[in-house]
This record gives sequence, structure tokens and C-alpha cells, in this order.
Amino acid sequence: MTTPAFDGTLTRDWMHRFADSVYATEAELTALDQRVGDGDFGTNLTAGVRAAGHLLDAGGAEAGPSETLGCMATAFLDEIGGTSGPLFGLLFQALSRSASGNGLTSDGLAEGVEQGLAAIRRVGDAAPGDKTLVDALTPAAAALRGASGGTPPDRALSLAADAAWQGVHDTAGLSARMGRASYLGERVTGIPDPGAVGVALLFASAAGPVHTLAPYLPGGG
Amino acid sequence: MARYFENSADGLVPDALSGFARAHADLVEYDPVDGYVTARHTAPGRRVGLLSGGGSGHEPMHAGYVGAGMLDAACPGRVFASPHNRQIYRASLAAARSDGVLHIVKNYTGDRINFGIAAERLADHGITCKRVLVDDDLASDSEEIAAGRRGTGGTVLVEKILGGAADAGLGIEELTELGTAVVSRCRTLAVASAAHHAPSTGERAFDLPAGELEYGVGIHGERADRTRPQESVRALVEDMAGALLDELRPGTDEPVVALVNGLGSVTSLELYGIFGELGQVLDARGIRPARHLVGDYVTALDMRGFSLTLLVAGPAVLDFYDAPVHTPALRW
Repeated sequence: MTTPAFDGTLTRDWMHRFADSVYATEAELTALDQRVGDGDFGTNLTAGVRAAGHLLDAGGAEAGPSETLGCMATAFLDEIGGTSGPLFGLLFQALSRSASGNGLTSDGLAEGVEQGLAAIRRVGDAAPGDKTLVDALTPAAAALRGASGGTPPDRALSLAADAAWQGVHDTAGLSARMGRASYLGERVTGIPDPGAVGVALLFASAAGPVHTLAPYLPGGG
Repeated sequence: MARYFENSADGLVPDALSGFARAHADLVEYDPVDGYVTARHTAPGRRVGLLSGGGSGHEPMHAGYVGAGMLDAACPGRVFASPHNRQIYRASLAAARSDGVLHIVKNYTGDRINFGIAAERLADHGITCKRVLVDDDLASDSEEIAAGRRGTGGTVLVEKILGGAADAGLGIEELTELGTAVVSRCRTLAVASAAHHAPSTGERAFDLPAGELEYGVGIHGERADRTRPQESVRALVEDMAGALLDELRPGTDEPVVALVNGLGSVTSLELYGIFGELGQVLDARGIRPARHLVGDYVTALDMRGFSLTLLVAGPAVLDFYDAPVHTPALRW
């Protein structure tokens, strides 16, 4: 029996839905980041998916899942300013590596997200509890690892999305240690971290685009 | 108000780099698309590419130290801003040699993150990449500063020593170890009597009353934690050198390298006077500076200030320091 896997087309569909989610929620992401950060996260994420869209189009319909995720990595690493955008690039870079070979399986997703999380933690020196995207990525990685084996990738991604949204909720209760939010002390408590929201959007978009953040955020965001 | 001679604030850095590459075309090459400078000549025995970078505004650092015997490449960011990971990644690909590429990074959050992202990309590409973190600033040595000591004037000495060591054929592990050891015995302290002018507005970054100075400034126009009356340069240098020596505690037989560095708009008259005072402090303590540099090596735009750096040179370090160097800003 073959292990269920995303081929190039399914991977691209997921990435296009992620782009749709980012476009739809850009204003909400910006509003969140204006309260806890530099206010540029929505713009940076949008610039990332836009640059990636051009690369995906140029890659053509034959590109496999690894090439598709490689395009995402290049776009987010090369074209985006700030810090969080390029960190998403490292996640895509690790996913691209784990998708080479037999397509993107749930094992590959678990492996890629774990490797991406490790790279992001090495670079950003952030640990769980610091109110960063690590707080959504860590539970998502655990959910993917728990789902691996023969689980279809879309089912695994749905579990990862649930775990990531829970992580987003948890960031609302934290004060920040990293980035500009760290200077704001208790004033950012109650507000979820925009980078963590971006991670949840990525996993949630596998099932379909997210049109608004309101239902997912504590206190209506 | 002191307007910069510039076409635009955004053009200041790329315009300068184009002119720099034209002026030193025999030594360096500038890639204006990816924003980095590479050396035209390197020793054949060098196995590791040396790369540094950081915000602009510190000239001649870093591009001025690209060339034979020192850096293989440098990536300048915008003024006082980290270079983008793309610049660092592409420059690293150009500079990497058989045993990889060594990043010499000053300890600032933005630099650490962007060099770190580039290092992850290099690893994914199968290229060995290590880091030497420079954190020599004594003024930011405090339990309360989670980010740790800043990287400042000592960077030029570290880059020179690692350049000599790379030319001697050391591998990447040995260079990383050497660089880390050199940094651990190198400390800098800086003061300023006036802030730099911002390129965008022409205004001073902060105002100081006449007769006062900031004790413990960094190289980005950030204020120090102490303001104190400007006294005689003798008393000031005695204090600064005393603090550095108390921290470094060189043994009587250990050679010391001294750097008297202008931060942008202090005159040579003053810098040599400062060096003279430093010499007297060291004489009085029975320490002889084995080597020294006096001049503008690591600046903060046109800040009116200077830094003192002392480096206690362990075994072989002085030989690496003395090895030939031919770059736009350093040559012997």
C-alpha cells in the first residue's frame, strides 16, 4: 500500500489557499501587529505570498512538492524584510527538503516542521513561552508527529491547525521576551502573537482559505 | 543641523560603495545587485572564506577591510541596520572556500538573526558555516542587559588576526576557536562629547550640554548609561584604561595590542594625545603595548568621540596580527 502523499498539484493548491488566507486577513494581522510589534507583519507576509505566487507560476504545473515548497522558501527568504517573514522561509526550506522523494507525506510533514522549528529556534534564540511563532509551531509539530504513519496529509494538517490555534490562544496569556513586543511588558498581555497566527493560517489553509481571524482569536481578537 | 553631501538618504550607502569599488578596483569588487564587496586577491593556502558585515556608518569597517590577508567579503546594510540575509547568503556563496565560510558577527540582535538565517541556508546547501561573535564592549557588560555586550572597535583587530590565521591555512574549527578566544581577551570602552548627525534629517541623534560627555557609548548613537563632566583627557584615559585593564588583567609577559579609535569627527591631534596618555598608563603599570593602531577604524558616522580597545594577545596571535595585509583601509 502506498503512503498517502501530496503531489505537486495538491501542495500548490495548499500554498495558493495560504496566499488567499493572508490576503483576506492582512488588515487584521496588521492591526494585531500594531498593538504588539512594528506593525509590518501583515505587509511582510503579504509580500511573501505575492513573491511566492510569481515563483510558483514560473515553476509551471510539473513542479513537484519539493520544488513548490522550495519556491516558497526562496520567496520568503530573499524578498521579505523584517525578521518573521524570513523565518517562515526557513520552515518552507525544511519542508522542501523533507518532501523530496516520495511527495509530501504526513511523516515528511512531521520531519519538515520539526527541522524548520529547530532552525527557527537556533536563529531566533526563542523558546516556547516567549510569545513568538515558536508557540504555534511547537504544538503543531507535536500534532504532526502524533499523526504520522499512514495518516493522510490533509488529516495531519487539520490536527496541526487545531494545535497551532491553541498555541495562538496561549500566546495571548504571555508577555514577550523577544522583539519589539518585549519593551511593552504587560501591555501586550491578552493580545496573541501575529507570527503565531501566521503559522496557524498556514496549517489551517490546507482545508480551505481562512477569511477572517475573528472566530479563532480570544476575545474576538 | 548639518546636511550630508548626498543625493538622497537612501542613496548614501550604494553610492558610496560604487565609489569605493572604483577607488580600490585593484583590491575589491562590488556586486550592486546583491549588495556585497569581495576581495580580488586571497592567499592560495586559505581554506576558509572570512565574511563580515553589519550596518553602514562605521566606515572604513567592514568593506575597507576586504582584501588580501583579511576579509574575503563584506555585506554592508543600510546605515546602522543589519544586512538582509540574502546579501549574507549570496556573499557567503561567493566567499566560501574548501573548508567553508566563517562569519564574523558583532553582537546585535538583528545581525545575529540575519547571519543565522544565512547560515541555515548555507547548511541546507551543504556549505560549512561557523560564527565568531564579537562582543567586546565593556560598557554593556551587565547582568541586566539580556542581549549581552555589544560588538564594537575590537572587531577590526579580530578580523585582522583571523585573516592572518586563515592565510596560515587554519581550518574552520581552529579559526572559530581562535576567534572566540581572541574576543574573550579583547575589551573596548567609548566616550562621546557630541552625537552623530542623522543622514535623513541632518539633526544630532541627541544633545549634550557643553562640558559634559557620555561615558560608555556604542557605535550607533545610542546614549550611554552615564553622563559626566568632561575633565582633562589624562584623567579620562586613566579611568577608561583602568577599567579595561581591571577586566582583562594581562600578565606581565603577555603582549597587549592597543587601538585608539576615532568615532568619526575627533581630530588626529586629539587621538595622538589620547594615545600618549594611554602609553603613560600602560608604562606605569609595567605593560608595554606590543602593537598599536591610532586613527578612525570603526566609526559611528560623525560622532565626536573615541574608543580605546585593548587586546591581550595569546600565543601565535601576534604572528597572525603581524602577517601581511593589503586592504583599502589597512596595509602592512
